[in-house]
Amino acid sequence: MSWAQAILLARGLSRSRGGVCGAALTGAPFPQVSLQAPRGLHCSAAAHSSDMWLVPPPPKPPRGPTRALAPHEELFRQAPDGAQDKANFVRAVQTFGQHNVHKRGHVDFIYLALRKMREYGVERDLAVYNLLLDVFPKEVFRPRSIFQSIFIHYPRQQECGIAVLEQMESHGVMPNKETEFLLIQIFGRKSYPMLKFVRMKLWFSRFKNINPFPVPRDLPQDPVDLAALGLRHMEPNLSARVTVYQMPSSRDSAGAADAAEPHIVGIQTPDQQAALARHNPARPIFVEGPFSLWLRDKCVYYHILRADLLPPEEREVEEIPEEWNLYYPMQLDLDYGRSAWDDYEFDIHKVEEGPVFAICMAGAHDQATLAKWIQGLQETNPALAQIPVVFRLARSTRELLATSSGLEEPPPPPPEGLEEEEDSQQRQQQGQS
Amino acid sequence: MALVHKFLSGTYMFRKCPKPGVASCPFLGTRFVDYCSSSLQKPVAGPGKNSSEGDLQGHHQREVALNITSPEEKSEVSFDKAIKDEIKSHFRRLKDDIVNYWIGPEGRPLHEVLLEQAKVVWQFRGKEDLDKWIVTSDKTIGGRSEVFLKMGKNNQSALLYGTLSSEAPKDGESGRSGYCAMISRIPRGPFERKRSYDWSQFNTLYLRVRGDGRPWMVNIREDTDLIQRKNQMYSYFMFTRGGPYWQEVKIPFSKFFFSNQGRIRDAQYQLLLDKISSIGFTLADKVDGPFFLEIDFIGVFTDPAHTEEFAYENSPELNPRLFK
Repeated sequence: MSWAQAILLARGLSRSRGGVCGAALTGAPFPQVSLQAPRGLHCSAAAHSSDMWLVPPPPKPPRGPTRALAPHEELFRQAPDGAQDKANFVRAVQTFGQHNVHKRGHVDFIYLALRKMREYGVERDLAVYNLLLDVFPKEVFRPRSIFQSIFIHYPRQQECGIAVLEQMESHGVMPNKETEFLLIQIFGRKSYPMLKFVRMKLWFSRFKNINPFPVPRDLPQDPVDLAALGLRHMEPNLSARVTVYQMPSSRDSAGAADAAEPHIVGIQTPDQQAALARHNPARPIFVEGPFSLWLRDKCVYYHILRADLLPPEEREVEEIPEEWNLYYPMQLDLDYGRSAWDDYEFDIHKVEEGPVFAICMAGAHDQATLAKWIQGLQETNPALAQIPVVFRLARSTRELLATSSGLEEPPPPPPEGLEEEEDSQQRQQQGQS
Repeated sequence: MALVHKFLSGTYMFRKCPKPGVASCPFLGTRFVDYCSSSLQKPVAGPGKNSSEGDLQGHHQREVALNITSPEEKSEVSFDKAIKDEIKSHFRRLKDDIVNYWIGPEGRPLHEVLLEQAKVVWQFRGKEDLDKWIVTSDKTIGGRSEVFLKMGKNNQSALLYGTLSSEAPKDGESGRSGYCAMISRIPRGPFERKRSYDWSQFNTLYLRVRGDGRPWMVNIREDTDLIQRKNQMYSYFMFTRGGPYWQEVKIPFSKFFFSNQGRIRDAQYQLLLDKISSIGFTLADKVDGPFFLEIDFIGVFTDPAHTEEFAYENSPELNPRLFK
């Protein structure tokens, strides 16, 4: 009986003083109690669960029977204009801080905000991450003694801090000094979020610029610009020229032919022009495609104009006459005493394929569109008028289109062309070989 | 008896002899499971993983086999004959090894090996070259990615293609998913002894590939008998340009960083090249959609201009113990 009285007494005490015993009754870990007693910031959940300063009234159950609302989700619904942008996200976070002076439930709120970031389009914004970290109460979770830092101090809060940093990491956001100050202020130097921060700082700077083929972070929205960017990306020769053969019909200026005119953008280097001029008109050349190219998370399709590999007996070796240069020999057949030490060649025949003459990206992947591209190419390559062109298009792009969100508009299956190959499906799988 | 048993299970895998496929499949599965799952980015979750993984892996093998091999040859099953053949072939390989040992390393004269500056390690010129590789994807943990490996046009290059899907498996634990990988098999000597590659005289990895603009990860694994080290590997990234041209990728071995269970370690150590067991390529760039990668050959060579020993210094902030 005295035991029950003691509990009642303790409960009364906790109500009046709001500190020690409440936390002890809820079963908080031992080291936290000694800390909370003087400050009383962490009022226990059990003692005050039904008091009036639970800021917004608990939300009504959602209309649909799908799932319950996460706590604090109503903060994200109070946008006056209903738009999902950075201003509203920041406003929701600030509303949480203003209404909730004691920062109750901030871990739940931060997890919710992390999930919402992609909807609001702020998942790559460093300032927003710093604002989220700012939600944590300062100086509360810092370990005060070595024992606290050995036994992880406030583990749930530290996990939440790591989750914020991990989401930054997965979106490639480099933390800055402000993040560091916030983390030191919140969790202290010897904490797991700080360790994660140090690792991120180290490895992000090491791997920041290792891509030798960089793609801009924000891809152009205009399909013509995007096609030009993709073509420049694929072509290693910097002297290549990008030509827009046909603008899309919305701002049509080229030829007034059809109602729907997809864009056609091509690229060709001077070397390829010369090679096409030298091409034997008896041998056909092929338009192949569509092949996929990924620019970050966007997939674009391109077609190539290529010839088959010449049989070895028809290949002509270009000979440089010796009298081209009187001072230096143009060819050296000297053996400078090279031995096996100096053999840096791989003992293998590399895969050889026929030459590529031009690449294009078009809005539609049917034969009529690509024929216009060939017509446009004939202006700069008069030899193309004599060479037969065979269209080897993939009949169905089912392989390429499977289950994707970042794809371009699906290329419609081309009409039953005359020269389309029957094994198109197989060609599609072979990529661009 | 146990030895013979194990040796049979191994030989069935190698030889594709007229086999009772059902019987050999479990061995096939469990044998790869250890190797494949250890190279995954995520730990495999859930009990009973072995059986499902084995099945799926076998499934992959079958798919690849369907792509690669011609219709199975019809012949009668004779256990005694198969066992005899296997024993004979193993002893023959053992004899070859002993003879090669007197000629020089790998059966070549010593001066030839010492003078070598560039060496082709894996090439793709026929269907038998594909047998040296394993393809795996997050189907093994319940994901939806698909990956296939087959010969390209004219049987001159390998084509790795498939679809990446970052949909997480619905097992209640995994939050993220989406990877496809291609891993080379561990070379095996007679009686299924583990072998390794010795690349200590080279300093750069060379790949001739053609991709579609996606970044890949190249993973190199050291040969080790310690079970604690089976998830450790050394990785670097391979960026493909995309487009119709072949691309030469040269990665110095000094650039490879050290990771354990898919996490970069704080203490970084150099990749030691004298015992390399396998190489792998992983695609996990969180972009859903189809992909392909064509590989012509993979080699190692010496770049005399490259003098860097290791690209990553340890940080006293992360590893104070290394600086005491």
